[in-house]
Amino acid sequence: MTVQETRLCGHLLREHFGEVVEKIGTQLLRSGAQNLRTIVSESGTPLDLVKKSLCVLMNHGACTFSSARKGPGSPVEYRASCERILRILRYPRFIYTAKTLYGDTGELIVEELLQRGHMAMSSIVKTVADRLTHNMEEGRSMEYSEVISTFSKLVETHFLQRCPPVSLSAPPPPAAPVGPGPSAAPVSTSPPTAESFPDCYSVPQVSMVGRGKHRRSGEDAGEDLGPSKVVKTGEQTHGDEGIYWQVNFERFHLHFRDQTIIGAVASKLDQTSSEIVRTMLRMSEVTTPPSASCTQALSANEIFRSLPANYSISRPILDQYLTLLVDDPMEFVGKSGDSGGGMFSVNLHRALKYLARATLESVVQERFGSRSARIFRLLLRKHHLEQKQVEDFAMIPAKEAKEMLYTLLSENLVLLQEIPKTPDHAPSRTFYLYTVNQLGTARMLLQTCYKTVANLIARRLFETKESKRLLEKSQRIEAIMASLQASGAEPEQLTEVEEMITATEKQQLESLRHHINKLDSAENQVDETIFLLNAYINSTARATR
Amino acid sequence: MADVKVKKESDTAAIEIRNKERQQFPHGITDQVIDTPHLESDNAAIENRIKELCQQFPHGITDQVIQNDMPHLEAQQRAMVINKLLSLGQLDLLKSSSGLLYRMKDTQLASKMKGSDNQEKLVYQILEDAGNKGIWTRDIRFKSNLPLTEVNKILKNLESKKLIKAVKSVAPDRSVTGGAWYSDQDFEAEFVEVLNQQCFKFLQNKAEVAQDSKQSPMVQRNSSFATSHEIWKYICELGISKVDLSMEDIETILNTLIYDGKVEMTIIAAKEGTVGSVDGQVKLFRGVNPLIPPTSLVKTPCGLCPVFDECHEGGEISPSRCIYLTEWLSF
Repeated sequence: MTVQETRLCGHLLREHFGEVVEKIGTQLLRSGAQNLRTIVSESGTPLDLVKKSLCVLMNHGACTFSSARKGPGSPVEYRASCERILRILRYPRFIYTAKTLYGDTGELIVEELLQRGHMAMSSIVKTVADRLTHNMEEGRSMEYSEVISTFSKLVETHFLQRCPPVSLSAPPPPAAPVGPGPSAAPVSTSPPTAESFPDCYSVPQVSMVGRGKHRRSGEDAGEDLGPSKVVKTGEQTHGDEGIYWQVNFERFHLHFRDQTIIGAVASKLDQTSSEIVRTMLRMSEVTTPPSASCTQALSANEIFRSLPANYSISRPILDQYLTLLVDDPMEFVGKSGDSGGGMFSVNLHRALKYLARATLESVVQERFGSRSARIFRLLLRKHHLEQKQVEDFAMIPAKEAKEMLYTLLSENLVLLQEIPKTPDHAPSRTFYLYTVNQLGTARMLLQTCYKTVANLIARRLFETKESKRLLEKSQRIEAIMASLQASGAEPEQLTEVEEMITATEKQQLESLRHHINKLDSAENQVDETIFLLNAYINSTARATR
Repeated sequence: MADVKVKKESDTAAIEIRNKERQQFPHGITDQVIDTPHLESDNAAIENRIKELCQQFPHGITDQVIQNDMPHLEAQQRAMVINKLLSLGQLDLLKSSSGLLYRMKDTQLASKMKGSDNQEKLVYQILEDAGNKGIWTRDIRFKSNLPLTEVNKILKNLESKKLIKAVKSVAPDRSVTGGAWYSDQDFEAEFVEVLNQQCFKFLQNKAEVAQDSKQSPMVQRNSSFATSHEIWKYICELGISKVDLSMEDIETILNTLIYDGKVEMTIIAAKEGTVGSVDGQVKLFRGVNPLIPPTSLVKTPCGLCPVFDECHEGGEISPSRCIYLTEWLSF
């Protein structure tokens, strides 16, 4: 991992788990695998705090442990996963996706799971039902069975999965030093993938009848209990003890990828074409392995049958659309045969490559202007060009073209390849060829994205810190107002309290809120670029392996 | 540009081949013709037929074409006739990817070169290859591998036949001055930009009309295409250019639009004689929409920051004190 990644991880850990976890987490990220003793001595943190921090990290899958790396009997070592910590940045998107697909219930289920790392099904159902009931009018409540059905749907579509069970061969001691309670149990030694277990997507029989309860104000404190306590305090058993669930990030990522491809097709071609691609992607969701470079081939007949019923496309029109998709120079859709009216598949790797390329191009375009972008695209297309050729093809005056090329070169967006005609590398007898390395540039931009997000978070923290006094005051006054209202105070009293915040202070608060919102949404947006670049880099790594 | 090069190569190859064949038949083929007088009338007929074929296919014909046309003809006889035509300078031998090609030589040239020897023909060929640009005596010497005195003599000969002329002050050719894009050695960047925009407007308009036509998707796509000839005509009729632009010039402009990511090109085969076709191909252009909106990274000030690399928390430039972020936030 890089400096930028570590810095961003630090920010994310601090925001979600506090300073101690941040300290332990970043130390683990910087140093690699360490045993408990080393962590304690190097971080200078008390042992029990270290244990608790590790426990939190493991609960969220951000840390794994392994024993006996240096031969039998050697101490257990802990290792933090940078990739997993960076996922925290994407939580809002996961939650939003769950909301659009499965409504409020789906949103709350995923939100609870993301906040707690992993939970048993019964406790999720209970918490979610309670929270939904809380937001309903008096006298109405949420049935457990409804939540269970949404939960089952999420599992069916693989958005949720069982945590891999702890392998029996793993020595029991590792759990002991970490912390008491069942929360540490589902973490295993070498991280086996959840999918390697046959029943990872099977919902257990849960005997739960009832409905969510309205929470009275006195019970508010119960909300922040850890999952361990929820399980412990539940008096009756539900038949799913020991089965914990987690969010299947991979599945969400596949969904994001598909959405991005569909969006690109809609933008490049039209809405109908994108609907056809959406249908193709949905049909192959189950049959195509997540790492495949293109989907399973589908016949035009199958696609026709699977098109949404309200979408009235006749068969000949569908054939025309498919031909157009295949003919498009981007070749998002490929044709692999003629049986069944033609076999078609979506070329996922190629699509990601073009999307990443468009991302790079847009960065150059926005930063250095459209003519630099012309040069950049030209180099992407023609691979290797001399300066003179760049000038001629791009039709840009020599002086300007030179300046643009040198700027791009100094920003590492283009590369310069020397090919000497003679062994002495004399400049007069050497070809200087400009070129663009798409993969390398994508990797570099990814780091830029990480630094950008870290910068935005830093700025947000700074803004909050600057107005700390003001924020505290407004909170205090709001609390007073609430209590006064509850006790049925006179309207004059209320206005008196309200006027304690001056007009300028109100304005400041307003602009602060505006700033925070803007920074927040920018963080989430940059994560979209991060996702796309990451998907492209991973897909290329798979393709060349 | 590439076109010219290819032609040159094939021509020099042809010269080599011709020279080689002359070595193989040092006495020419006339001896044989005299030996077999009964064949002479036959040969004349074949000769005429081959010439006819050549005229029919101005791009040249292969051995196969002749064979198909006159299946009864023996290979030896065919070779003989062709050799004769070659030695008379009526036929040109070219080497192409599909084998050897025979092509009719410019009759005018053939008559002009009457009475010239091989060396003279060679020098003339070199001069012809140089085209409008002309060529230095020194370059002729290198290309022909003849001594300077010889070259001078031949040049003088050719000059006296009024086939060539010496140019003392040179008016540079298009490829040297840069053509339409230069005036007084300055690159007309604005002119290029205007043409670039006009071409795009034309294509965009065409695509919009096609989309509004509400026809079947295939028809819609096809009617959004414009050939380079159409665009050329449109630009010429607009009258924005003071200089005459060729179709290649417009294609260069259209290429910049491709590199701008605004236009796509497709090449299709065209019937012989289609307006605007080059070598039986027509280039079709169409305006396209971008794949994605600007990526979200560049919507933040950091994505565009010129001092991004110098930015560190606690440093002179830091996210907390960044003026770009302040400006952006207050926007």
